[in-house]
Amino acid sequence: MLTDFGIILIFFIVGMVFVAAGLITNMILRPSHPNKVKQSTYECGEEAIGSPWILFNARFYLIALAFLIFEVELLLLFPWAVVFKELGWFAFIAMLIFAFILLLGLFYDWAKGYLDWDKPEPIIPKMKDLVIWNKD
Amino acid sequence: MIDIGANFVSELYKSLGMFIPETVLVVTFVVAIIMDLIFRKYKNIAAFTVLAGFFVTGYTLFACNSSGYAFSQTIAINPFSQFFKFIILLTSIIIVIISFLSKELYAENRKVGEYYSMIAGMTFGMFLICSSTNLILIYLALETMSLSSYVLAGYTKEVKRSSEASLKYVIFGAISSGIMIYGISIIFGLTGSFDLLAINAKIATGNLSIAPLLVSGIMILAGIGYKISAAPFHFWTPDVYEGAPITITAYLSVASKAAGFAVLIRFVLLAFATPISQTQPVWQVFAGIDWKLVLAILSVLTMTLGNLSAIWQTNIKRLLAYSSIAHAGYMLMGLVIMTSAGVLAILVYFFMYMLMNLGAFYIVMLIANKTGSEEMDDYIGIGYRAPILAGCMVVFLLSLTGIPPTAGFIGKLYLFMAVIDARWIWLAVIGVLNSVVSLFYYVKVMRNMFIRGTDKTEEPLQFSRVSIVIALILAGANIYFGLWFEPIVRWVNECVKSLF
Amino acid sequence: MNEIPQGYYLLLAGVLFTIGTIGVLTRRNAIIIFMSIELMLNSVNLTLVAFSSFFGDSSGQIFVFFVMAIAAAEAAVGLAIVLALFRLKKTIYVDEANILKY
Repeated sequence: MLTDFGIILIFFIVGMVFVAAGLITNMILRPSHPNKVKQSTYECGEEAIGSPWILFNARFYLIALAFLIFEVELLLLFPWAVVFKELGWFAFIAMLIFAFILLLGLFYDWAKGYLDWDKPEPIIPKMKDLVIWNKD
Repeated sequence: MIDIGANFVSELYKSLGMFIPETVLVVTFVVAIIMDLIFRKYKNIAAFTVLAGFFVTGYTLFACNSSGYAFSQTIAINPFSQFFKFIILLTSIIIVIISFLSKELYAENRKVGEYYSMIAGMTFGMFLICSSTNLILIYLALETMSLSSYVLAGYTKEVKRSSEASLKYVIFGAISSGIMIYGISIIFGLTGSFDLLAINAKIATGNLSIAPLLVSGIMILAGIGYKISAAPFHFWTPDVYEGAPITITAYLSVASKAAGFAVLIRFVLLAFATPISQTQPVWQVFAGIDWKLVLAILSVLTMTLGNLSAIWQTNIKRLLAYSSIAHAGYMLMGLVIMTSAGVLAILVYFFMYMLMNLGAFYIVMLIANKTGSEEMDDYIGIGYRAPILAGCMVVFLLSLTGIPPTAGFIGKLYLFMAVIDARWIWLAVIGVLNSVVSLFYYVKVMRNMFIRGTDKTEEPLQFSRVSIVIALILAGANIYFGLWFEPIVRWVNECVKSLF
Repeated sequence: MNEIPQGYYLLLAGVLFTIGTIGVLTRRNAIIIFMSIELMLNSVNLTLVAFSSFFGDSSGQIFVFFVMAIAAAEAAVGLAIVLALFRLKKTIYVDEANILKY
């Protein structure tokens, strides 16, 4: 007789065996000729510059925050979808209002420029900077 | 199980009819944002939209005074919630008006559209709190209010102390709301319901084990106590009150406290107590847990801590923050005794507290506009540089102390009478002693304004006529309601009856 | 088939809640504090779902939806405030936010 814990244990073991078996078979079958190019992070000829442990631009956070809000609020659509058939138009209109308010939030972000990535001002080259040798 | 179908939908329509003030607030919030986006040239367009929305809300609040339950018993519309909604709405209107005069807010050509729309959003959250009788809705409404208030506290975001205040506010707030919903989840596990009345019925059977009930009750009290800044949960109050823009400090100290008290009274009386009989205006706590003692300890701690810390403050905003903690302590006394007289006293006190606290913060704002400082030492000689405002400030401070003939006296009178009537003599004695202590630091402000440094001859401060008129109206209201308080008491009496 | 006893869910939730609380109280990094708060909220969700399935009552699960939505909103507001403070002070350590003192 299996308990619930037993099932979880079996899942656990099967999961570990599955991964381990894949890795071990690979290890046995594959040829092993390591060289420097093969062990670099990108094998497509691009050399990695600097450490990956740098601070990210704070802009990422803003975009992530906006995404987070809109994504999670959609969670509330789920209970609505369950009873949608019974409630009919009332539920539809209620959800339209909800979606409108969310959309307003997105427009707000957009209008205030929070969705723009702040690009550095492009430096447009001027003619006199390009001329190396001046006549006088 | 709720039956879903045509019947349910018609029920919803009926509920929406009782929900008009809240609906108006939401529409106000949305329209204010849209207006702010469309008419970018007009700086105050959102403010006027919000103000107009508030007046419409006020009209609908009084126009549809039907009482009953709405949205499958999650919302109770009755005179009790109407009273708190009125207090909150009035505070919001006053705050919006005095925000026009705030120099701090309009400094550096700041955009203020979000500020006003956030106030509308916060008002909506507080309206919901006042009438919710379901723990889910209480949590949701509390968060609606909190999220707006976190943003408002840090609105002047290039000022370091404002950002810092709002960070502290959001961290403490998130922790306390986390603790609160853990309590809610335990109560749900014990009783199988989120509805306060159903919880009450379950507790009344007396089959529940006491320890988890006590723990969960205290956890929920922690969440609510945070909002009213009761003693062990008050740490954020002085920092946030000092750091936030003054208008928001005043708003938090009155409106969000009002919402906190509304939900506290409802939660304790609806879930954990039962009226002894229809005729006797006394609630009885269910056997097992002595909620009265728990609340009494909270109350004593709150007022003593608030008053004793206030004595040492050198910043007037901080001083008023501690004094508002102390006032929360006084008001808790009214809940400890669990009689209708006690609840009546809380409501009367709150009305008076609104008048005096808003007034005091308003004067602090006006003076900070001119001198750029909120330190006590900079109040030296203010009595001669701005005699009218200093005079108003004296009225507010006397009212906060509770000296006749001001509004604060009436509030304290009803409160102490109710406590003594219920035979909680030691509590009343501690309350009176605390009031005496509070006199000390309020007088310190007055002394700085009038008596110290009279030899200094600085030029008088100039204030616009509008700002002086508003100050005079608030001070006048303090004295008026100190003398003619019967209408308020009569109205509040009706409100308390609806709790039974 | 034997079911996992009710108490185990609650125990796990209690342990998670405690870890979250300790994390909030001891950590200095604002981001980690918010992560700990999320942990607290998730333990509440676990409790609610456990009770909800035990009672066969869906209201607990509905509450979980709301808690998740609110948690996201709270995290967003919190992070935005941390960002605002970071721009001013170049730090996200809460004990360096110390202008306001007794």
